[in-house]
Amino acid sequence: MKFGKRLKEQVQDTLPEWRDKFLSYKELKKLLRLLSTAPTSLLNGSSIDYGKAEAEFMYLLNNEIDKFNGFFMEQEEDFIIRHKEVQQRIKRVVELWGPNGSQPSEADYKDEMEKIRKAIVDFHGEMVLLVNYSNINYTGLAKILKKYDKRTGGLLRLPFIQKVLEQPFFTTDLISKLVKECETIIDAVFPAEEEAERAKEAKEAIVVAGEGIFRNTVTALLTMQEMRKGSSTQSAFSLPPLNLPDSDLIQSIQLNAAVPIV
Amino acid sequence: MEARPAFSIERSSSNQLNNIGMSGALPSSLSVHPTPLEETYPRFSDSQPAFVEKGLKTRTFNHSSHISSSGAVGHMFSSSPGYSTDLHHSSLSPHEKHSRNAHFISQSMSNMASVPLPYSSNNGPLPSTTSTHYSNGSSASWHADSLPSFLDFSVNASIDNSQVESSACNIMATEEFPKRNDWQEWADQLISDDDTLTSNWNDLLADNIQDLEPKAADPISKSSSQFSAGHQSQGHQQLPALSGENNVGVAPSSSANSAPAKPRMRWTPELHEAFVEAVTQLGGSERATPKGVLKLMKVEGLTIYHVKSHLQKYRTARYRPESSEGAAEKKLSPIEDISSLDLKTGIEITEALRLQMEVQKRLHEQLEIQRNLQLRIEEQGRYLQMMFEKQCKSGVEPFKASSSAIGDPSGVSSDTMKDSLAKNESEASKTDHCRSGPDQANGSTTLEESSLQDTSKVQASDDLKQNDNEDSAQPPKRPRTDE
Repeated sequence: MKFGKRLKEQVQDTLPEWRDKFLSYKELKKLLRLLSTAPTSLLNGSSIDYGKAEAEFMYLLNNEIDKFNGFFMEQEEDFIIRHKEVQQRIKRVVELWGPNGSQPSEADYKDEMEKIRKAIVDFHGEMVLLVNYSNINYTGLAKILKKYDKRTGGLLRLPFIQKVLEQPFFTTDLISKLVKECETIIDAVFPAEEEAERAKEAKEAIVVAGEGIFRNTVTALLTMQEMRKGSSTQSAFSLPPLNLPDSDLIQSIQLNAAVPIV
Repeated sequence: MEARPAFSIERSSSNQLNNIGMSGALPSSLSVHPTPLEETYPRFSDSQPAFVEKGLKTRTFNHSSHISSSGAVGHMFSSSPGYSTDLHHSSLSPHEKHSRNAHFISQSMSNMASVPLPYSSNNGPLPSTTSTHYSNGSSASWHADSLPSFLDFSVNASIDNSQVESSACNIMATEEFPKRNDWQEWADQLISDDDTLTSNWNDLLADNIQDLEPKAADPISKSSSQFSAGHQSQGHQQLPALSGENNVGVAPSSSANSAPAKPRMRWTPELHEAFVEAVTQLGGSERATPKGVLKLMKVEGLTIYHVKSHLQKYRTARYRPESSEGAAEKKLSPIEDISSLDLKTGIEITEALRLQMEVQKRLHEQLEIQRNLQLRIEEQGRYLQMMFEKQCKSGVEPFKASSSAIGDPSGVSSDTMKDSLAKNESEASKTDHCRSGPDQANGSTTLEESSLQDTSKVQASDDLKQNDNEDSAQPPKRPRTDE
């Protein structure tokens, strides 16, 4: 139930519109329990019952996958649009206040820059959270399939997961690309500062709530770390433990998240 | 049979209608999805014991002969009595029912050619939510609600291929209303009262059977042809999202809209560029019309729906930043007074943002790494499976050579490997032993590649050997793995 609990935490911390778009892990586990307690030991009937069970289970999984795909592609489309918009916005600012344009007032400039920074950071955050969404749902699927095979002695996992890998919601390459582009833009938009001072300020900084994006990000990271700690069922298909430098910093952020500034 | 369900999620092949059919016809408005599952489970466990009834069984047998005669209808029929036994199945009732169920099923099966199975017949009687959703016109949600909530699956779905399932699903979408009302009635009665249920059900069964038969033949053929037509248009392979310009990445799963034939579009930056260009040409996001944009873009496979929804998104995205920029001017004046404080807050905010950025970057990094690992793991699994299948064809290596190799501690869990191997061999008796090989092998080996390859090869041949011996003796049987 470790994953289930983590998933629940993630869902709680996630942006409100996302809450019902995650894998219904608990429900699937329940179904699995019910499936495996149904008698299957009859010679003639069992293979057919089993077939039914498998079809039903697969049907549900396919539904889940549709859900992921739909949501993912919708978000992706939004992000593509926003990405372009961010670029346009910066271009406009450069044109307006750049070398060729007028000189803005100090306050105006700062204000606009702040806004842009916040917008970009949040945008970046949302995209990363979408990637996280994809990943956590994939992990959940893999787990539930593994449980299924274990409980029913079936062979659903391997072929099914191969199909999942090709699904739109799992192919996050485009989003990752946008994220990286965002990171380069950010560097241009943030004022340069000395390394040491920045580190100090970072440690003292109180978390900006950021509509829960930051909080969700932190939760996601910690969840990932937790889930990859060695488990009893470690196998060839398990991921190695996560090596997160600054994990204590991140953990402290999670604790401090109660005090937002904006 | 196993091969089929395994590929149910395949979207590229038009033969694999299962998932595509379902998703195409039934948009996944699944926000309702999780709750019904929880709600209805207890409901079914309550009502089920009441179903453990006598008359039903005999009824099923009466119908089975009936079924054998009528071709197309036969299977649908099997579903309705099958339904009763399905419920029995899920209620954890005695084995005897299963034997009858199975027997009955096998009878009807033998009479089936490639008949499109009316999935509907099974799902109609499901919780009344099903039919209510249905009568609302959106074929979307019922599917999500009813099936998950109903533990059992139609006999149909299991027995035959994915094709059956999918055609059945679409049949749902195009079914006639009168039949549906029967089901609704049936369903309501089903759910309402435990005691009187059985008797009601028996009656309904009697009534509906007459109704079903004549109706069955027509809708099936009609809707299945409709289905295949609708399906073809959706059966596009998911084109690589990055080959932007002239290719439209059409994914079969549909969005929240209820229109049935609405393949989901996967937008790319390049496509969006073309879109923006077209919009600017037409005078801006407010002036541009979907039709105009569509024409200008000249992209194959792009429909007006896609453009419409995209334009809407585009407009909202533009509106928000612009309005906030305008508002910025007004906000400035009161804040200007607290200039020193403002400065400090400004720095803090910037730093906070920086921190947020760092954490986000970190998360993204880790996600990418994790994803690559996951891909590699599955790739490895796939490779192993390929190897096993090759071995399957080329024959089995001698047992002795392999068993000595097992003792070689090439992995951390070599002992556990041996144990699980033994357990697997004693239990294994699968129809497709080639495919069983990789899974069992992989379940107990470590990540190290070399060790994996050596030992699993060894395990594979062991499994194969055992399975060969066992399979010939017994009919296919699914083992229950102990935990």
